[in-house]
Amino acid sequence: MGLFDKLSKILKFKKETMTILVVGLNNSGKSTIINHFKNTDDRNSITVPTVGFSIEKFQNHGVNFTALDMSGAGRYRNLWQHHFKTCQGIVYVIDSSDRMRLVVVKDELEILLKHPDLEHKRIPILFYANKMDFADALSSVKIAAALGLEKIDDKPWHISSSNAISGEGLEEGVQWLIEQIRICVIDAKKKRTRKDDN
Amino acid sequence: MGSFRRDKDDDDEGSTSLYQNLEKTSVLQETRTFNETPVNARKCIQILTKILYLINQGEQLVSREATECFFAMTKLFQSKDIVLRRMVYLGIKELSSIAEDVIIVTSSLTKDMTGKEDLYRAAAIRALCSITDNTMLQAVERYMKQCIVDKNGAVSCAALVSSYKLAGQAGDVVKRWANEAQEALNNDNVMVQYHALGLLYYIRKNDRLAVSKLVNKLSRNSLKSPYALCMLIRISCKLIEEENLSGEELSDFPMFQFVESCLRHKSEMVIYEAAHAIVNFKNTPSRVLSPAFSILQLFCSSPKATLRFAAVRTLNKVAMTHPAAVTTCNLDLEGLITDSNRSVATLAITTLLKTGAESSVERLMKQISSFVAEISDEFKVVVVQAICSLCTKYPRKHTVLMSFLSGMLREEGGLEYKTSIVDTIITIIEENTESKESGLSHLCEFIEDCEHTSLAVRILHLLGKEGPYSNNPSKYIRFIYNRVILENPIVRSAAVSALGQFGASCPTLLGNILVLLNRCQMDPDDEVRDRATYYLHILQTNKMELYKRYIIDRNTSSLILLEKALSDYLNGNFNDKFDLAIVPKAAVVKVETKDEAMIVSNNAVRPTKITREEVSAAKVMQIPGIKELGPLHKTCPTTQLTESETEYTVQCVKHIFESHVVFQFDCLNTLPDVILENVRVEITPPEEFEIKGIIPCQKLPYNELGSCFVILKFPEDVLHSAATFGATLRFTVIDCDPTTGEPDSDVGYSDEYMLEDFEISVADLILKTKKSNFNAIFDEANTEEWVEAEDTFALSTVSTIQEAVNSILKFLGLGPSQNTETVAEGTHTHTLLCSGTFKNGADILLKAKLALADGVTMHLTVKTTEPDVADLVISAIG
Repeated sequence: MGLFDKLSKILKFKKETMTILVVGLNNSGKSTIINHFKNTDDRNSITVPTVGFSIEKFQNHGVNFTALDMSGAGRYRNLWQHHFKTCQGIVYVIDSSDRMRLVVVKDELEILLKHPDLEHKRIPILFYANKMDFADALSSVKIAAALGLEKIDDKPWHISSSNAISGEGLEEGVQWLIEQIRICVIDAKKKRTRKDDN
Repeated sequence: MGSFRRDKDDDDEGSTSLYQNLEKTSVLQETRTFNETPVNARKCIQILTKILYLINQGEQLVSREATECFFAMTKLFQSKDIVLRRMVYLGIKELSSIAEDVIIVTSSLTKDMTGKEDLYRAAAIRALCSITDNTMLQAVERYMKQCIVDKNGAVSCAALVSSYKLAGQAGDVVKRWANEAQEALNNDNVMVQYHALGLLYYIRKNDRLAVSKLVNKLSRNSLKSPYALCMLIRISCKLIEEENLSGEELSDFPMFQFVESCLRHKSEMVIYEAAHAIVNFKNTPSRVLSPAFSILQLFCSSPKATLRFAAVRTLNKVAMTHPAAVTTCNLDLEGLITDSNRSVATLAITTLLKTGAESSVERLMKQISSFVAEISDEFKVVVVQAICSLCTKYPRKHTVLMSFLSGMLREEGGLEYKTSIVDTIITIIEENTESKESGLSHLCEFIEDCEHTSLAVRILHLLGKEGPYSNNPSKYIRFIYNRVILENPIVRSAAVSALGQFGASCPTLLGNILVLLNRCQMDPDDEVRDRATYYLHILQTNKMELYKRYIIDRNTSSLILLEKALSDYLNGNFNDKFDLAIVPKAAVVKVETKDEAMIVSNNAVRPTKITREEVSAAKVMQIPGIKELGPLHKTCPTTQLTESETEYTVQCVKHIFESHVVFQFDCLNTLPDVILENVRVEITPPEEFEIKGIIPCQKLPYNELGSCFVILKFPEDVLHSAATFGATLRFTVIDCDPTTGEPDSDVGYSDEYMLEDFEISVADLILKTKKSNFNAIFDEANTEEWVEAEDTFALSTVSTIQEAVNSILKFLGLGPSQNTETVAEGTHTHTLLCSGTFKNGADILLKAKLALADGVTMHLTVKTTEPDVADLVISAIG
């Protein structure tokens, strides 16, 4: 590590950057969540279904985020995998009022976890049980049980209920994600230095 | 030290050719850099450039490679670097057609295209339209509409042009954007106006009324953009052409008045476009023509080379249609001969050649030869074309022109250029018997050193046809045999065929030819040996009629149909032998000589056409009972036996055999509520004819074409072969449901329908042939087997010699030789030479001497091998 890098790290000269992948079924609120994180003057007034994906940037807790906002529509879900390799964290958005498609959510999650790029990688996954304001919304505990999240043991995960329109519950989740990504980055560095030493 | 320096040199070389020796796989490896965060813009730009370079060099990426590369590229949207982003757009456009799932970038692009950064927007629109397919278009429709009416000219232009492209595949969606395009038309930006008009026209182009409304509206409130105005002029021209107006009506036509008013516009471009349009109309009144020409004349002396070029090119194009008007510009054109721009000079000279007088030909040719080496092939072709038209105009100048052409032939040049020269020489030879010897010897010299196989083959064929009738045939043998020794197999076999022709036509040379052909049998190539054996075998029989039938006058079958028949045969069960007689003979189709007095070299290879007659001939030969009639002699053009608007339309095709005629009636049922059954045509022939059979058409549903046939035997007496027939269509009508076509009942009632009379004329019985050495053949035809008939007629119905020639050819159905079908203007005497084959195989040679006095007087000499045929021909005229 160069002297300048150390210096800048001590002085917090350079902000950290993190790349996160935002996935989930269509109409679960991915773009709205990201929209909420952006500065007030950058926000889009209307949200339309994303086609393909879009790259958004925002700052939160002094970290520069690059968010890959993927489209959730059925025909584009196979495009998620192209970004598994490069992202540092995954945000999985679930529409907690949509009981009917919870099984689809589960299927998609299983496919995602079994993907070779992710299977043995320690990567934090943040679940947003979105649309908690709806009357018939399931609680985050019920969703976690329905998706069988307790079976994920090689990746840190966290579920938080959220309301993307008001912003309720979003901050909590992001804070957890930042911490986890930091831990992962340090771990990875340690591993690398150990390898170098050997 | 030494080694260090060398390294440095190597580096230098490497840097000058950064993109040379690029490997596709290694470049694709490098795309991994795209995944790095943060993005290294400079490096990525370089890699993208390499990819684009590779694709544009013709390197093929397979779908998987392209998709990987494409997805790596999508990561680059993170970077804010403007240059990189624009490179990404280019990359998307290039890969959009190869990679899969390209719609993934749709949202990223729509974001850029509606974003604040103007530099991104136009390029994003273009990239977006390249990845959008029909199903996705709905999603971006809103954005496209917004962009079309955008304030920024570049954005609006990009949106308009992209819509224009999309309109090809998704016309109905783009049609909904017409309102926005209309609004863009009021934009102040010149390009936006132009593109908006283009899109509007494209949307409405199938609706004539809408287009003329558009033109009328726009021609009143004058457009600011000169480009849009030029476009408008072109659209108006198209509409005016479709109107098909006469001169007087034209000048009152509002659209024409608009075009005329554009002559007074301040932009040179618009003025030129208007002048160009006016001189190209079919019947412009001379009142309007002269200002248009004076504008072109003015442009000829413009200091701008582009204007001079445009003006001269237009003059060149219309030199044939408006010779008098172009002659007024001659002085200016003379000035342009020495123009520093070679293209302008070439066009000027060729224009002068087209319009100039006979006396100035030599001077102009000298001028051309001074700079012909400096101009490009394309313009050389223009010069050759001009010379070609000159030859037809002034046949007496052929020596000057021929020597000029042979000079050109010796120079370097591409295939197209050489072909046009050879074409011209061949035309001169055909039209002008005096120039034959010199022309042939020029061509002989040319094939001595000719790298184009196709040309060599053509010339050898020509030598075989023309050489034997020249004064000294033996001198060509050496040239031809040289080919056999030196060339590739294709040329060798052509040379062998030419030798065979000489052997058959020149008895004095036969001995030598046999020796040469014997040697050719040792050739390493199969085709050459086969041909040599074939000719040798026939020539050794010493039978003139075999020579004639199998060497000199070989009838060629229609190649396309022969191929079809052979492939059908191969798919069959080989029980019967293949019968060549079922393949119809190729008709002697006269190649249309286009009056192409223009530079455009759009020589797209036209597919060989099968005529309708050939198709129906092939069909008729497959009908049982007809094949037994022997080989088909001729199939006549279709005649209509009903009005085209009637309940049933019937067309008749006559197939002539040696002693039979087969009438094929193509019937069409235009009534949706009936089915016709047992459809047949009853004809009432003159008593000499004998009906041999009728083949009805079993069933004729609505809107389907069915054929029924009648077979007749010709009378023994040839003189009665031509006759008129009455005909009635008979059939059983069964009513049916018009929507489903299901018959209402099983029984119908019989009905009949009168058809117009039709006839077999003498022309129907004669197959056109084209003899290139008519005079020689005519003079030789004085042996016992030939009979000669002579008669003199006064033709009262025609007033010019040309009319007389046309009607003779029409009545007798003979093929003219040596271009005698065109009569030079202003002459009072003319000789028409024509030939044909009668249905029984008898050759007919006809020489008609025509003289113009009060009416046209004609002296007819017919030579044929059958006395009756001669009488028949004479009687057909009388």
